[in-house]
Amino acid sequence: MNLLRLSWRNLWRNRRRTLITLLAMALSLMLIQAFHNLSTGVYQRMIDSGVKAGSGHIALYHRDYPGTRSEALSFAPEDLVQQLSNLPGIRAALPRLYLPALAQSSRESRGILLIGLDAEKEQPHNPYLKELPESSRLRLRNLRDALLGKKLMEELQLKDGQKFVVRLQSRSGEMAAELFRVRGILETGIPEVDRATIMVNRPAAERLAGMENQIHELALILGAPQAQEALLPQVRAMVSSSPEIRALGWEEAMPNLANAIRLDYASQKVIFAIILIIVGIGVINTLLMSVMERIREFGVMLALGMRPRDLASVILLEGFLLGVVSAILGSLFGVLATWYLKVRGIDLRAFINESIEVGGVVFDPVLRARWDLPAMAWAALFMVLLCTLAAIYPSRKAARTAPATAMRHV
Amino acid sequence: MIHLENVSKIYRTGNREVAALLDFSLDVARGEFSVLAGPSGSGKTTVLNLIGCLDQSTRGRIEVAGMDVSRRTVTQLASFRLAHIGFIFQSYNLIPVLSAQENAEFTLMLRGVPKAKRQARIQELFERLGIAGLENRKPGDLSGGQQQRVAIARAMAAKPNLILADEPTANLDSKTSEDLLELMRELNEEQQITFLFSSHDPMIIGCARRVIELKDGHLASDSKDSAA
Repeated sequence: MNLLRLSWRNLWRNRRRTLITLLAMALSLMLIQAFHNLSTGVYQRMIDSGVKAGSGHIALYHRDYPGTRSEALSFAPEDLVQQLSNLPGIRAALPRLYLPALAQSSRESRGILLIGLDAEKEQPHNPYLKELPESSRLRLRNLRDALLGKKLMEELQLKDGQKFVVRLQSRSGEMAAELFRVRGILETGIPEVDRATIMVNRPAAERLAGMENQIHELALILGAPQAQEALLPQVRAMVSSSPEIRALGWEEAMPNLANAIRLDYASQKVIFAIILIIVGIGVINTLLMSVMERIREFGVMLALGMRPRDLASVILLEGFLLGVVSAILGSLFGVLATWYLKVRGIDLRAFINESIEVGGVVFDPVLRARWDLPAMAWAALFMVLLCTLAAIYPSRKAARTAPATAMRHV
Repeated sequence: MIHLENVSKIYRTGNREVAALLDFSLDVARGEFSVLAGPSGSGKTTVLNLIGCLDQSTRGRIEVAGMDVSRRTVTQLASFRLAHIGFIFQSYNLIPVLSAQENAEFTLMLRGVPKAKRQARIQELFERLGIAGLENRKPGDLSGGQQQRVAIARAMAAKPNLILADEPTANLDSKTSEDLLELMRELNEEQQITFLFSSHDPMIIGCARRVIELKDGHLASDSKDSAA
């Protein structure tokens, strides 16, 4: 018999009360773990589609381009694309040109953003291009191929295969125009993109704008998103000889998305904190009730020679054990809930008819969890810590028991 | 073994002061088998609590086993009780979640005695007290007499110099009371452990070698003095 075993047995004196407390704590932990994993899954998908269609995990720009988005602020990638593609951890380096222009059909004209890209390189990564059927994809050798946003096509009253003109002010200051043909339709679900985007092969955009071998963005797609932290300094070191080029992480390159995620997670943390406070109060209540019921017994233990600090340890251990059992039970529930949310997910399509855009990324209406085992372990450990801390007040109360008074307690 | 000199214990309830003990002096030698007798409220339990370091006196000097226990910290007093004093209570006060064996070895566990030694000591005591075979039973599964025997084993386990027993037979039938009393007397004679009872049970009073009678917090009579 030692203090730990004594605490363990004390815990089960009032089996029903302990089980109810344990269940409440385990369900709270499950809620925290499962919803954290669900959020991680949702955020990850948003980041994944956001970075792949947008700036990449790391993006290279002209130093002043991110602030102004002025088409004049381009840079010559030279052999950077090749060098970066060879860097371990980088799956693709995608050069892009962004040109404000005017699109004209025979009936309408609209202001648009002409994106010049390397279609074949982009295809495996860009989620919107990936979905296009083979017949709608940009052909490398056909510089007149263009992909148009669905709404833009409707507004220009164009149909598949029809021709239209793109006009812009070239680098030399002259007005330049080029004839393109609708090759495919882009449907991202983001109204601004679908209403104002035209994608063409980069050489066609370069030629039109008179910007040979110039780009606005070099988007780097990484094999693993978490490698960004290690790779960003390497990339910065590689471009350090070109002071006009600046490398940014996706959070800096797409601050809207990063901030939307940060804000959402912060509000979730507040909810987690409220859950934990409720759990803490529950534990204090259970232990305090259990302490008050045993005042006489504590008097006897102290009379027999138990030191007050050992008695306090018994109560602290009861809180600790309550935490350990609830952490194990809660993590088990958390694993099952996460597994369900990963495999089946939560389908919001019955409630949301239109696509929702968050931070410039289309929100997938089927929410799916993603395992975040370190966070689950931390949540479980925090539960153990919380229960142990919640036991401090009851343990101090028990330790302050005066033996003679306590033994008169009925 | 015990020396009380002009000890008073005054309880305060609101603005009222109640003197449970007033200028009480007492000396108990090693190996005595004595009883504090007197009606309810005479101060028996107060004296026992003060000697057992469970309560602090308002005035006076208390020495137990050669140590002045009047002004010590709670931790020092706990260690002192563990080393020198065994307790037997009226309502046994066994810990319900522990088995008879675990209850009896509780003080040995607090002292850090290894498991094998604890078990051997408790086995020896259980045999001596006639409760061998009940080691694994929980207090709720034992009769009053059996529980009190376990409580005696617990008090004896750490081989204390002094055993304080507060109304130990109050909840027992007369046959069991007689048996237990006889047993405690034998242990007193065999091991020279000092026993100090608080009781108004005529059987204990009749069995004790010294009867210290209290009345209204004062010493009313002491058979030791009468004998002298």
